Parts: sequence; structure tokens; C-alpha cells
Amino acid sequence: MTKRISNFKRFVMMNPIIQFFKFIILSIKVLLIVAGGHGGTREVTK
Amino acid sequence: MAKIVILGAGISGHVAASHLRRKLDKTHEVVVVSPNRNYQWIPSNIWVGIGRMKSKEILFPLAPLYKKKGIGFKQAKVTSFYPEGDINEAKPYVLAEYVVGEEKGRQEKITYDYLINATGPKLNFEATEGLNPGTNKAYSVCTYTHADHANEGLQSLIEEMKQGKEARIVIGTGHAKATCQGAAFEYILNVEQELRRQKVRDKAKITWISNEYELGDFGMDGMLLSYGSNIMKSHEMVEMVFEDRGIDWILGAGVNKIEDGLAHYETLSGEQNSIEYDFAMLIPSFSGHGFKAFDKNNQDITEKLFKGFMIVDADYSPKPYEEWTVQDWPETYQNPNYKNIFAPGIAFAPPHSISKPRKSPNGTEIFPAPPRTGMPSGITAKLVADNIIDSIKNKNESLHHKGSMGNMGAACIASAGFGMTKGSGVSITTFPIVPDYKKYPDTQGRKLGKTFGEIGLAGHWLKLMLHYAFIYKAKMKPFWYLIPE
Ligand SMILES: Cc1cc2nc3c(=O)[nH]c(=O)nc-3n(C[C@H](O)[C@H](O)[C@H](O)COP(=O)(O)OP(=O)(O)OC[C@H]3O[C@@H](n4cnc5c(N)ncnc54)[C@H](O)[C@@H]3O)c2cc1C
Repeated sequence: MTKRISNFKRFVMMNPIIQFFKFIILSIKVLLIVAGGHGGTREVTK
Repeated sequence: MAKIVILGAGISGHVAASHLRRKLDKTHEVVVVSPNRNYQWIPSNIWVGIGRMKSKEILFPLAPLYKKKGIGFKQAKVTSFYPEGDINEAKPYVLAEYVVGEEKGRQEKITYDYLINATGPKLNFEATEGLNPGTNKAYSVCTYTHADHANEGLQSLIEEMKQGKEARIVIGTGHAKATCQGAAFEYILNVEQELRRQKVRDKAKITWISNEYELGDFGMDGMLLSYGSNIMKSHEMVEMVFEDRGIDWILGAGVNKIEDGLAHYETLSGEQNSIEYDFAMLIPSFSGHGFKAFDKNNQDITEKLFKGFMIVDADYSPKPYEEWTVQDWPETYQNPNYKNIFAPGIAFAPPHSISKPRKSPNGTEIFPAPPRTGMPSGITAKLVADNIIDSIKNKNESLHHKGSMGNMGAACIASAGFGMTKGSGVSITTFPIVPDYKKYPDTQGRKLGKTFGEIGLAGHWLKLMLHYAFIYKAKMKPFWYLIPE
């Protein structure tokens, strides 16, 4: 096992209060990508 | 009035059926044909496979829901396609065989006006000698029964480890061209955390084995992503996580034979190696179901419908990796020969892989097949349903709804351990799924802000929330349609 994540980073990753805010931000970011639409590719570049 | 037949009740079949039923009045018939009696939320199989969730929490029976909603349901498996009908039947139909009850074995011609083939992949265990879930100490988590089995195997090994046994655990891909690396990635991290929770982590050596050229390829040619204020490659991110968790890795490995506790593989450099294990979870290759198709004179026309998976509006002309473009990927999932047949989700034949193809000096192709995860499966199913609905309502073919994987984002919230306070998730989003190297030449084909990685407890909560949200949606509870695919 090689320590690749510092104690501070690990604290941030696992702290429920910080992570609660991350959860809100992450949910919104994911929702924006999911609901951000999709479409074809062919007409755009033709 | 139109009859729409949907083959398969997985993510894409069920999404298509539910949207069709909601938006079409009851004069139109919606019929689902699937051999499974239950709907299962496959992504949560990871937690079933470590015993942190019961399989009954991820599934529900389809028949009562379909009855309540006015969706026809035949618990049968389709065997062949007759897109022109035959000499006795003027309408196109599929031939299906019932799989349970008194009707078991009975065949039925199921006619249709529109057909949605959402049969997903065949889990092709036979392609790897000796790979058969639950035998040779090798398991799968691809279905809830497989995951239950895997959990039994894992828990009995943990018991032995508590008695002092030193164990080797191998998790990854079980074929040179397997896909679904994401699921194996989740499982290895969950197993690692479970060993820590049960205080036997020091007794295990855990190895990732994969057909990927680099870690973090995930069958998507890897990705450049924003991670906090940094920009990092997905292989750096996964390397960081694996090293931190004490997981070592073997890459470019095409597993070709499994014996009791022994996996044989060929590497990209052409060596034939093997690795011993006490517990393995290896994702099999995915293939088409081997369906046959016939014209009205009973002549075999399988090649008009299938190329392994179903042929759709993709560009299948063979070309080298350097010439691949996002335009090769389908937009409407319509079969070009029979325009009332569609194939969303995993059922469509991709034009090529997404990852760069690679061969060993012996000529063995070792690289991931392209993944089609839950989100694109749902999105493509919904757009197919919407095009059919428009075509029925306009009484004219309508293909306005388009969704190429080259112009669609995906979120992969990979569980890295279960638990409300000890859990973790590696959340990765990508836009687009298939890299567009022309549009985003400096960022490996993807838009950076929309392609990001995040590690932490929030990822676990999000994955758990998605579990409940998608089961709510699948049960078609009030306002289910407001939850995006
Ligand atoms: C362990 C695991 C974890 C995963 N985790 C994630 C994740 O976290 N996020 C994500 O986005 N994706 C994930 N995926 C991928 C996701 O599950 C798939 O993308 C999705 O299930 C594909 O949906 P589908 O409807 O195309 O195919 P399937 O879900 O495979 O459904 C196919 C359906 O067709 C039916 N069928 C089969 N043969 C026939 C026949 N002959 N006749 C009629 N019906 C038939 C089957 O019974 C089934 O109902 C995971 C996959 C696995 C295996």
C-alpha cells in the first residue's frame, strides 16, 4: 500500500459535513450533464 | 391502431415500454416480451456481491406492474425474427418461446407494427474456457443470482481468512475483448473495503486484471478530466486510488482459460501467463444472442438485421482507428433495412470500439469492447419510444429525436465502498461518451468542464440515491417520468 492520498485530502473526502455540500454540488453537476441534452452529430459537421 | 412489441425488460426495454404507455392512448398496444419475471437494477448488484444489499432490494416482479399500467407481458424468449411475416402471416412478427408455467416451451408468433429490440447482451461465458459463474472459484456480478453466488464465495473466503488463511483475489475482465470494466472497478474497491471492514485486509493480495492498455481506459479510450483544480488523466486517477488501496494490476491481459483457482491469460506483448487465486470475479465477454431472421419465403436474412448485435444507423464500413469519427455512431437506432425495427441500449451493433484496437504479436486482439452503460441505454430507449410515438401520431415516419453517443454525456458514479459514513464513490462524468477529437482536439476528445472526476463519501450517497430514484422510476410511481434517464 502506497499512501497516495494525503491525510488532509482523506479528511475532506470522508468528512460528512464537507461531503454533504459536495453531494449537493455533485448532484447538480451530474443533473446538468444528464439533462443537458443530447442530439445527433451528422448535420452539425456536414 | 398500432402494436409496439418490446423485446427485453432491462433498463432500455423497460424505459421504452413505460414512456410508450404513458404517452400513447390505450387504443395502441404495448407488449413486452422478456424471459425474466423480475426487473433488476443491475448497478446495485455490486453491493449484492459483497453482501451489503439483499438481491430482493434491487428487483421487483414485472407482471403486476405491467398489468396495472396496461402493458402486455409475455414471459418468453424471442428466438427468431420475421420482419416481412411469412406465407401464412402477412404482418411482421417475432417467434417467441414461453419459459415458465403451463405454457413453457410453447411457441408464439408475436406480430407487431413497431419492434424495439432491447435484449441487451448475451453474457458469453462460453467464450472463455472454464469461465462459468460459481465454478473454478470464479464468479460474476452481472445478474442478481450471480451476485448472490459471488457474495457466498466471498464470505466463505473471509471466514477462512479469519482463521489465518492468506488469500489472493483477482478481479477484472475474463476475456480479451470484454467490456464493463467500470463494474469490475466498482467491485474490486468494494471487496477491498469489505475486507477492511471485516478486519482481514492484511491477509489478502488483491489484483486487477484487465484487457485495458492503461488503467482508467474503461473501454472509452481513457479520458482527460478535471479533478478539483487539477487536470488529470483517468489512468492517473485510478492509479492513485489503486495504490492507495494496495491493489496491484495486470494490464493488456486477455484471459483465455480458467481452471480451479487459476486464470490463464495472454498479454499484449504475446506472453502466455497465469495467475493463481482463491476468489475471482471476471466479467465475461458480451455478445449478441445469435438470433436468426427470415424473409417471407423463409430465406435466411440474418445479415440484414444482425452483425452480432442488431444493425442500426451506424457507419459500419471498416476503417482504421485514426479515421474513426463520432459520425460513425448511430443517432436513431433504426434498422436501415426494416424501418419499423429499432435497437437501443446494448442491443445495437456498435460501429467499432471506442478504445484503440491492439493486437498481441500472436494476432490476438486485446482491448475493451465499447461499453453502453445505464444512462445511454435509458436515453436511447426513450428517444426510440419518442420517435415511434411521433410516427404513430403523425401517421408518418418521424425521426426527430436523436441521440448519438458522440453528442451525449454520461455519469458513472462508481461505488468505492458501502456505508453511510465509511462509504466512498469515484464519480466520473464524460461529455461526450465517444470522444470527438475534431471538436475537442486539445482535451482528448472531451469537454473538460463536463468531464470531471470526484472521490469521496458524497459519491456513495449519490449512488445510493440513484439506486432508490431509479427503482422508484422503474416502478412507475407518481411523477416517475420527471426523473431523467
Ligand atoms: C454489475 C454491473 C454494474 C453496472 N453498473 C452500472 C452503473 O453503475 N451505471 C451504469 O450506468 N451502468 C452500469 N452497468 C451497465 C448497465 O447495467 C447496462 O448498461 C444496462 O443494463 C443495459 O441495458 P439494456 O436494457 O440494454 O440491457 P439489459 O439490462 O441486459 O436487458 C436486456 C433484457 O433483455 C432480456 N432478454 C435477453 N434475451 C432475450 C430474448 N431472447 N428475448 C427477449 N428478451 C430477452 C433480458 O432478460 C433483459 O430483460 C452495470 C452493469 C453491470 C453488469
